[in-house]
Amino acid sequence: MKQASPHTPAAIRGRSAWSAAWDSWRQVMQDSFAVVGVSILLLFVIIALTAPYLAPFDPFKAMMTETGRLARLRPPSGEHLLGTTAFGNDVLSQFLHGFRVALLVGLVAAIAVGFISTLFGVLSGYFGGWVDDVLMRITDVALSIPTLPFSIVAVALLGPSIENIILVITVLFWRNGARIIRSAVLTERERVYVKWARAAGASHFHIIMRHILPNIIRVVFLWVTMSVAFAVLTEASLSFLGLGDPTVISWGQMLNTAFSSGNLRTAWWWVVPPSLALVMLVSALYLIGRAYEEQTNPRLRKR
Amino acid sequence: MRAYIFRRLAQSVLVVWAVTTIMFFMFRVMPADPTAILLERGLTDEARQALLEQWGLTGSLWDQYIAYLGNILTGDFGSSFLYRKPVWEVLTPLIINTLWIAVPGLLLGAALGAAIGTAVGWAKRGGKLERSGIFLATIIRGVPNFVIGIALLTIFSSTLGWFPSFGMGDPGETTGFARYMTLDFLHHLALPLIAVIIYFMPENLLLMRSGVVENRTEDYIELVRAKGVPQRRVAWHAARNSMLPLITWLFPALAETIAGIVVIEIVFSWPGVGRELVLAVTRQDYPLAQAAFFLLAVMIVIANLAADLIYGKLDPRVVYK
Repeated sequence: MKQASPHTPAAIRGRSAWSAAWDSWRQVMQDSFAVVGVSILLLFVIIALTAPYLAPFDPFKAMMTETGRLARLRPPSGEHLLGTTAFGNDVLSQFLHGFRVALLVGLVAAIAVGFISTLFGVLSGYFGGWVDDVLMRITDVALSIPTLPFSIVAVALLGPSIENIILVITVLFWRNGARIIRSAVLTERERVYVKWARAAGASHFHIIMRHILPNIIRVVFLWVTMSVAFAVLTEASLSFLGLGDPTVISWGQMLNTAFSSGNLRTAWWWVVPPSLALVMLVSALYLIGRAYEEQTNPRLRKR
Repeated sequence: MRAYIFRRLAQSVLVVWAVTTIMFFMFRVMPADPTAILLERGLTDEARQALLEQWGLTGSLWDQYIAYLGNILTGDFGSSFLYRKPVWEVLTPLIINTLWIAVPGLLLGAALGAAIGTAVGWAKRGGKLERSGIFLATIIRGVPNFVIGIALLTIFSSTLGWFPSFGMGDPGETTGFARYMTLDFLHHLALPLIAVIIYFMPENLLLMRSGVVENRTEDYIELVRAKGVPQRRVAWHAARNSMLPLITWLFPALAETIAGIVVIEIVFSWPGVGRELVLAVTRQDYPLAQAAFFLLAVMIVIANLAADLIYGKLDPRVVYK
């Protein structure tokens, strides 16, 4: 491999994926909707990190009244800012712990899906040949698997735990990402500058890292943002269906308990916070994703 | 063209085979013993052996796999553990129930989304209508479908009391198709249907908007405008050309709808395939869960095939090879 020294012409040297990522990020932050999304996301991350300190009670502890009875379905008061559940748990404490689960699932899915999709997408798009054939046949099959039913069956069979939920989400969502990234790589590969760099003796690794990756990084970001949203939604849906991890508290589970105990109508303080938080988180991600989408599709830009 | 259809068909068969194989391993290998649940109900060893044979759970994994493929080829998915009758007898009426909310929900959601999406796409770039349209659509797209369901239930059923909250209604004396033509049925259908429409509208809206934005600067639009055609008609020209991606999206979406409305079926206790899948899984009724999952997967394969073939008919630029 020819080392890229400072004397190498810029056309061959390319640029690092980091600087490309930073450029793309700055461009996204020009979009006011994306700024709203990022602000919400930041707020949520801060709450998730500080949740154990913010939560006034143990989320699993049943609250008692002075007379020694279970404090069931108490409306919001000074003591319980968001009231209590039908089982006497403090809603605010459960709600705050829900931030941790949602963001943990999102973060792990982003890393796992982002890494796997990029790896397979770049390999199959750049090298083509049998790697590409095998990958495309695998995604053909994977795309025919109904996502939610698959997660329901898989989580039920593997056992409902947060690790299994994350595993199933990763297995499900890398496929779309790999396809999207592959097609982005295919168009980049045919560009003249890649041929020039190749002719000048740059290695495949150099071309992938400094030419292909910087140019597809926004596609990767778009897909990572969307997969975080899908991951949060899938975890919430599974928990709502009663397949959540019983050892942690998530928003989907809170809604499942409220729904299955028949308290949807009366206990608004129990239902509204997790619903609202889910809507805010997923919408924030979609707002950011949309900005990347406008960026990756030049035909959508203002003319 | 004929070669293409043949190849696509062969590919679909291959995909169905792969899905059934995945299913085999998911259901056979993961749970230690599918009859464990029945044993708890006090079965003798002989009865257990008979059950294992009945469900093809004896012999090596390879023998089981061959027997399993044979059963699927002949359409035999066995009997439900719980209902004690063939799974198809359980699932067939549920398919129709699911389609009742899936198909109208998807079509109405697509039509509504396309209409609003055209308006938003045609609006002034950076104007109020465009910005609020995109913002609202993105927010609504972010609402999980069970939150839509819960909101509808709380507002229109519990608080206002306009709609029933539960099930499909009492069939009464009517049977067959007549049962779907009663006011009672439509009354029960309303809320789940609205939930599906709200769930699918925003994605259509944004897709249509992107299409119209891409098309509005094309030369042919300039030409139509130069002819002196009124604005509204010009927008229609752009909209028609933006419908192609919507149609390709519609078929896989139908399959995903059938899968995605699982949650809506649960919220409204609508007796569909998705709800039965969740119930079967929680009751460990594996033959039923397996058949419901297979049904949903095959629907997706068929819808994708149909989309590919229809797309070529609608867009002459597509060349089959």
